[in-house]
Amino acid sequence: MASLQLKKIIKDFGPTRVIRGVDLDVDDGEFVVFVGPSGCGKSTLLRMICGLEDISSGELTIDGVRANDTRAADRGLSMVFQSYALYPHMSVYQNMAFGLENTGIPKDVVRTKVDAAAKLLRLDPLLERKPTQLSGGQRQRVAIGRSIVREPKIFLFDEPLSNLDAELRVSMRGEITGLHRRLGATMIYVTHDQVEAMTMADKIVVLRAGSIEQVGSPLELYNSPNNKFVAGFIGSPQMNFAPVMAGHGDSIVTAYGETFTLKTESKPASGTALTLGVRPEHLTLEKRDGSLAMPITISGVEQLGGHSLLYGTLPGANPGADGPRITAQVAGQVATKIGETATLYAPPEACHLFEASGEERAVR
Amino acid sequence: MKALNFLTRTRSGRSMDWTDWLSYTYLLMGLFLMFGPVLWLVMSSFKTESALNEFPPSFLPYGQKSVAVPGEEKMKPVYRVKMPDGTTKELAELRRIGLTATLIDPARPDDLIRVNIKDREPVREFKLATENYTDLGGQVKFGTYLWNSVFITVIATILTLLFNSMAAFALSKYKFSGRSAVFLLILGTLMVPPAIVLVPNFLVISELGLLNSLWGVIWPAIATPTGVFLLRQYMLTIPDELLEAARMDNASEWQIYWRIVLPLAAPALAVLAIFSVMWRWNDFLWPLIVLSKNEKFTLQLALNAFQGDLVTQWNYLLAMTVITLLPITIVFAFLQKYITQGIASAGVK
Repeated sequence: MASLQLKKIIKDFGPTRVIRGVDLDVDDGEFVVFVGPSGCGKSTLLRMICGLEDISSGELTIDGVRANDTRAADRGLSMVFQSYALYPHMSVYQNMAFGLENTGIPKDVVRTKVDAAAKLLRLDPLLERKPTQLSGGQRQRVAIGRSIVREPKIFLFDEPLSNLDAELRVSMRGEITGLHRRLGATMIYVTHDQVEAMTMADKIVVLRAGSIEQVGSPLELYNSPNNKFVAGFIGSPQMNFAPVMAGHGDSIVTAYGETFTLKTESKPASGTALTLGVRPEHLTLEKRDGSLAMPITISGVEQLGGHSLLYGTLPGANPGADGPRITAQVAGQVATKIGETATLYAPPEACHLFEASGEERAVR
Repeated sequence: MKALNFLTRTRSGRSMDWTDWLSYTYLLMGLFLMFGPVLWLVMSSFKTESALNEFPPSFLPYGQKSVAVPGEEKMKPVYRVKMPDGTTKELAELRRIGLTATLIDPARPDDLIRVNIKDREPVREFKLATENYTDLGGQVKFGTYLWNSVFITVIATILTLLFNSMAAFALSKYKFSGRSAVFLLILGTLMVPPAIVLVPNFLVISELGLLNSLWGVIWPAIATPTGVFLLRQYMLTIPDELLEAARMDNASEWQIYWRIVLPLAAPALAVLAIFSVMWRWNDFLWPLIVLSKNEKFTLQLALNAFQGDLVTQWNYLLAMTVITLLPITIVFAFLQKYITQGIASAGVK
């Protein structure tokens, strides 16, 4: 168990900079999830933490000790790989014992530790099997078991669930968070799946193109995203975006001519182009006072029983042209059909505003 | 049963199509062409020297029947004799003087029968001249030759696997500048004909004082570009994540090579081992140059030396040839699956 600090971490592959100065504190016992689209550098960052990639510049400290030049094996971390990376020619027991044997621990101690880890992960009946004789979920547990026996300071997971089917993924998610609770260990988990991030993390780190976009608890990110990217990345279905313009005072004018009031602290100048963001689950079909009306042409309906998804397009800036696509998740079942028009209402407390250009930072 | 089903398979699965006739005829002809001479060799290796010189030659090894006669130390040859009364009898010949042969009936050893040699015919029976094999040790230093061959084959194969796999490991799993240049250089040596490096190799071996030493045959043979290429291609398919996992597991680079990469490259190593055994066992030219003392000869050299200037003892030569063929045949029979796999996966012969 340990804490971890990253200070201005940079990684260059030749002339390409893939990690652009990352600062991050991971506290003891925290479950931190790195999330971002593919190619954002989250796996590279994880590999730099565990020592499989060199750090081009910046400082990595584990428990307050600089660890930039410490060998991967000596950092006291363990890693669960996306492909599990189980040694195919060794039995489950040998797979779990390999790391301990290499450190010269007596055989009986190795036996005790492996047995304990196997029991924890319900692997004890499988110890003599080869990895090829195991199911995906079992392999996953062996890979985790291999980490546990080494009693690492920090557990690292590199997209460990992406090779499993949807059902197994949900149950393994539960197992990993359960493990985190029982061991109380510091864990860093990389995923591109925001649902995994939301359900497992104490702290989510959203990465894009080698930089941290926002760090916070799942609900912080959901409720008050720093910018349009984080807003769009966290939450499923994705947040809806529509171009708007700041009017006089607190008024906001949409591209299709609707005006409504939205209080902001920074009071953007009249005429500033902005992006309005509202989550599908906050849109309703019932009109409420002060809500923004969004007339959409329905292009798709998905009835899921408990709730329904409506897909449609807003009117564009010019008459006849299509505007941005809108998704709404409304409670219950709806009678709306494709081709019809419907009016959705967005309550002002659920509306986000972002700058329309530059870093697209949140205005509200 | 499975083999029989396989051998009687037809195109439609029912009766023989004309294409079946064609392919089976073709295959049988191929089998006869390729296997016939080997079969003839094996049969001939069981013939006595005199049977080998017979004309017309027989396919099966025949020898003259002989029986034990009371009062005589040696077995006596049996003849079919036309008796003066017109009957024929099988009798054992005691001796022959001029045109008269003295024969005896083993059942009644007291009566000597004298007949003209024209009236008797040797009785022939199927008989394996196993003495061709059992006497080999006495005829030549067969044990020494066999030991030399086995020593060179085994040691050279082990060293080939070790050195080639280390080179392949470095070339496939480490990133260093000049890696592809080194790899191309190794592959490039494939284009140098062996005859060209023969003399330089000889000079090196001679300067190192390894002439007439088995190590002089082994050392120049162990680094093979084919082996490095074959193993490298296979090792490229071993995921890097395994090596990284091992690195996280506190394994040294040597342990990664020895405990992770080598066991996982076993199929490719098996292929190279088979190739290496065949190369070293069948090698003739290089041992001929390095080894000139009789007691250092390999089996292949001994076979060559067996063909004397004046006399060639064909029966022993053939027996020894069969023994020399055996290891390769066994290797092929049991490991042919790996051989075809290896050829298919590496694209080398």
